[in-house]
Amino acid sequence: MKKLVLGLYAIATVALMIWGFYQAMYVAPDDALQGYIFRIIYYHVPSASVAFVFFAVSLFGSIGYLTFRRGNHDRAQIADAWALAGAEVGVVFCTVVLLTGPIWGRRAWGIWWTWDARLTTTLVLWLIYVSYLLLRRFAAGPQMQTLAAVLGVFGALDVPIVYMSNRWWRTQHPAPVFGGDPGSGMKDPAMLAAFGWNMLAWFAWGIFVLILRYNVERKHQQYAEQEAEEALAANL
Amino acid sequence: MTSALWTHLIKDLRIEWRSKDAINSMLFFALLVVVLFSMSFDPQGAFARDIAGGVLCVATMFASVSALNQAWAREIRHQVLDAQRMAPTSGAELFLAKVIANFLFVAIVQVVLAPVFLVMYNLNVQGQAWKLALVLPLGTWALVANGTFFAAMAIRSRNRELLLPLILFPIFLPALLAMVVATKDILTGESDPSLWIKLLLGYDIIFTTVSLLLFDVIFHAE
Amino acid sequence: MSQADILDHQFVTAAYIITWVLQLGYLAWLGLKWRSEKRNAEQRQKRG
Repeated sequence: MKKLVLGLYAIATVALMIWGFYQAMYVAPDDALQGYIFRIIYYHVPSASVAFVFFAVSLFGSIGYLTFRRGNHDRAQIADAWALAGAEVGVVFCTVVLLTGPIWGRRAWGIWWTWDARLTTTLVLWLIYVSYLLLRRFAAGPQMQTLAAVLGVFGALDVPIVYMSNRWWRTQHPAPVFGGDPGSGMKDPAMLAAFGWNMLAWFAWGIFVLILRYNVERKHQQYAEQEAEEALAANL
Repeated sequence: MTSALWTHLIKDLRIEWRSKDAINSMLFFALLVVVLFSMSFDPQGAFARDIAGGVLCVATMFASVSALNQAWAREIRHQVLDAQRMAPTSGAELFLAKVIANFLFVAIVQVVLAPVFLVMYNLNVQGQAWKLALVLPLGTWALVANGTFFAAMAIRSRNRELLLPLILFPIFLPALLAMVVATKDILTGESDPSLWIKLLLGYDIIFTTVSLLLFDVIFHAE
Repeated sequence: MSQADILDHQFVTAAYIITWVLQLGYLAWLGLKWRSEKRNAEQRQKRG
């Protein structure tokens, strides 16, 4: 039953993706100021939104793990699985953002990169969660989950500080801002529609991949636990 | 200061005084960075004042990382760390003592390095020099407090030398930015560094508090 | 089409392709991971 639902959801997601692509490439008009290159926005901004939401999911997972690890083992493991899934899928989407952004910027504003608040925060967020994933890979033993959860909390604390410090820096050294608020530029209903469809499509895709990653991790957790039990029993 | 904190602190200072391991390696490493940049950029006048802050902070950062790993590795030998965990004192006191000790070591390195720096970069401070005495300690505290915490996290992994800078640097970035820009503002006298000093203070308070609260979690992680 | 228009088209294409390579690549990696976990679970069933 679950597989059927997942399968149908996957088909719906793919359909949304195809529809979103059609909207972005063929229905939406060229931007009045930027022209054709503006179309990158239909993939760039939704990816950023999904990445931020999934990093928030990871944070809640980390907090959940720290809360439940002594009291409720099952819930703690579930929380940790969400923490990992959110972080990993978030990094994938964030990588997309950091690659498509400069490609867009190069044509639209003549620069690959600038240190404004949004770009800097996105880059630091990416660095923090990549380091989170590396900690999970390199840290040994059962305490890894606790360490990772703590790092997740630290990372989340850092993000608003990065954003604010960059804003202050920018008031001292004004520099090109990479694109204004994209929403404000879009008045054409065809553009808004294409944007909306792609937002929906990318969230659908993201949630699909997130659920898959969560399930793979849960399976892995169960396997690891059984291995540990066996090893203990063999020693008795 | 509680007696446990004081005991840990004296112990660390005494060990370091006898071997001078950490300070020597830090000093040498930092000196190398300072000299290398001076040679390759040959900074003069305004350009020197622009980059000096960045070079000093980067030198401090790289030098500290080696010392931070050593600080905890020392505890793991002879199961000293396990003994510490079983002691009835809170882990936070051990942590704070280590941070203070490491802070003193890095500060000594910076003080020794300062004249070398002034000479190699031909620096004369255009702004209010006394503010440097605020910026440098605050920035160094941010580095050492977070660094000691993350070093404790990395200590039981197999790539601890690699892992520490990987997890420390992204989180340290805003403090690094504040330290570099504030130093530059003071050296060039171009703008007021107060905002950055406040940011460093806020950063230090937030992260030191969170580290003290969460240290026992990672110390006794099982 | 002008040179600028051609470049614009190429950049948009590159952006979209990069996005898909990353997303599908990750999905493929996830599929491999799923398969290895399933194999682990089956091996355990055989043993236990």
